[in-house]
Amino acid sequence: MNSPLKRCQILYSRNRIGLGMRARMKTMMVTLLCLITLTVIAQPKPPKLPKFNKGKEKEVFLKKQWFLGFKGGVNFSGAEVMKEYAVLSPSNYDAGEIAKKYVNFSDAGAHATIEATFYFTGLSLSFQPTFRHNSFRYHNSYSWVDAENPNKILELNYVQQQNLQYFDFPVLAKYEKMFNKISPYVQAGIYSSIRLNATKSVDIHGTDYASGGTNQFKDETIIIGARDLYAKNHWGLIGGVGVYYNLGNVRLNLDVQYRKGMSNITSTENRYSNDQLSGVGDTLDDMKLNSLMISVGSIFPLRFLGKNFRSTDNRK
Amino acid sequence: MRKTFFILTLLSGLMAACSEKSDPSFDQRNFTSVIDNKIFSSGIFPIDVRQTSDGGYLVLAERSIQESTFRGVYIMKADKYGKFSKETMLDDNYVNPVGPVIVSGTSLTFVCMDAFSLQAQLVTVDENAENPTITAIAGITYPAAIGIDGTSGFVMLSYDQANKNTVVSRHDMTGARVGSSLALTIGAGEDVEEPIINHFLRTGKRLPFHVGKIPGGQYYLNGFYNYTLSLLFTDFSQNGTLGVVQGQQDDGGFSAVYPLGGNKFAASRFNFGDNFFMPNVNLTTNGTTTAMDLGGYSFPELTSNATVKILSKPINGTNTLIFASDTKSKQIGLFFYNESTGSFLSSRYLGFSNPFEVASIATTSDEGLIVCGTTYLAGRFPRICLLKLSKDDLAGQL
Repeated sequence: MNSPLKRCQILYSRNRIGLGMRARMKTMMVTLLCLITLTVIAQPKPPKLPKFNKGKEKEVFLKKQWFLGFKGGVNFSGAEVMKEYAVLSPSNYDAGEIAKKYVNFSDAGAHATIEATFYFTGLSLSFQPTFRHNSFRYHNSYSWVDAENPNKILELNYVQQQNLQYFDFPVLAKYEKMFNKISPYVQAGIYSSIRLNATKSVDIHGTDYASGGTNQFKDETIIIGARDLYAKNHWGLIGGVGVYYNLGNVRLNLDVQYRKGMSNITSTENRYSNDQLSGVGDTLDDMKLNSLMISVGSIFPLRFLGKNFRSTDNRK
Repeated sequence: MRKTFFILTLLSGLMAACSEKSDPSFDQRNFTSVIDNKIFSSGIFPIDVRQTSDGGYLVLAERSIQESTFRGVYIMKADKYGKFSKETMLDDNYVNPVGPVIVSGTSLTFVCMDAFSLQAQLVTVDENAENPTITAIAGITYPAAIGIDGTSGFVMLSYDQANKNTVVSRHDMTGARVGSSLALTIGAGEDVEEPIINHFLRTGKRLPFHVGKIPGGQYYLNGFYNYTLSLLFTDFSQNGTLGVVQGQQDDGGFSAVYPLGGNKFAASRFNFGDNFFMPNVNLTTNGTTTAMDLGGYSFPELTSNATVKILSKPINGTNTLIFASDTKSKQIGLFFYNESTGSFLSSRYLGFSNPFEVASIATTSDEGLIVCGTTYLAGRFPRICLLKLSKDDLAGQL
């Protein structure tokens, strides 16, 4: 299908061959008018730049930019004990024998983050609300022995798994350096967390050497809602590294953060409030929660989503 | 934009400021503590608990003795967090401690028995469960229960095996007798005595012997009289009793009695295994009646002939009766009643997984409640447990 410009050219060509001078002039005028009109219509409108970018079009894209994105991944948590607590209070042996032994950074949790980042010449400020599920465990062992027959022993082992769900409000500062399409960055920040939910499961197993043989036994796992045993909120610091892979307007992201808890995650008021847990001899220590979080995701620029601007333009 | 980040950072900072802070006072207000002992054959069975002036707790308990069915005397001091602090075990000659522990200044007093002479012994320890002094109480054998008598003495219920009498006597805090005592026949024949001796030897049913004084009124005792475990009222002014509420030999009677003034009592009774709470009952203190006729709220969830402890305590301005007992699900059940109306308020169950049994309940200086009992670690090792409920916890029960 002919474009308006082509139709004007054809009309002009016909007139030149078959018409008189006056008619030819008239035709030329009409043609010129058409050309001007079509030129105006066909000319793409230049992007309307915000005031602060006027006159800096060349490197405008990454000078100042808002990015919005999503990322998710796995995390590994560890507890940093501030003060130990126990239900059992020994009268004739060392309390250290039954102390909790934490298994840190072993059990995987998951998290999902929405990221809103404001970029300005290599530096970014980022707000990353996150749903975080952390998991960690500890275990402790008890034994009782017959004073007259040391082979008569009962051993009990408790494995306590905690599953915690938080909603985080982290604010981060990032500094990135661009190498072609790769932009590594370092980041640091602060976060506050609101406790959403918590459960605990308790596995009890043991070996009985006192009942005429060696009998290994395992009780049914006890799963208990433990929301009130944890503090309603806590806060911490964030440090991390990551890298962006710039793919057109999209920036793919690999992000590693270490979140160091700075406040107690245990509710001091409700430490013994769960009769079931107290009944099995468990109570929470005062502790901070640290987390290693590995995420993948992508972010998108909120301005200049067009062919003419790409995330790497200012480095070409 | 900068403003947005400033606000977000400020909000994060504010939330950080509201984060959980360690508060040692919480650790005193609520706790659960089990005093463990590594020895397989060790068995500790608490009888009573009292808070000491330093905020800690003194627990009187029985301990298993090798080659004897009598139980030895074990006194334990826990700190204000319920953690083990000290223990004192009296010589194996001293057996069958009897509570409640009577607090007199910084001394704590209870009674036990000489395993050979069967004579009652008055034991006084300091608040750290140390420096026990033991004084024989002349003429009293098989002590079964004691109760506070005013501010300077105690009343004791005992058994005189030679004459087959239940004996009630009054003593000052040195153990010396005050005034006359009362001897009540248990009835003729060997069979009548059997449950009493089994109680002392710990080879049979534990009988809820009890003795005390109605404030400003008569003395009451729950003991064997005329073939039956009965609740009796006396004023020592005559050689006999003023009133009797009869049980059913050792199969029925009162399991706990708490005087509320005049003829009004909070009580519980058992009858062939069933348990009934009577938070507000008027007892005839000068005639003969039968416990079976008193009715009460049935509690089928409790163990057969359950141990029951009663305490009157103001909670949030409401005079509340707390009944503590053992449930079939091996928990300690707390049942709250309005003292003035007798209406049921709520219940709470303590313990899980391991069996828990109640021994004593007492009020604390911070208006909380200390529950002392036995828990069986690993389902088999009897150990002392202390469960502290805060004032706020108790308020939640109303």
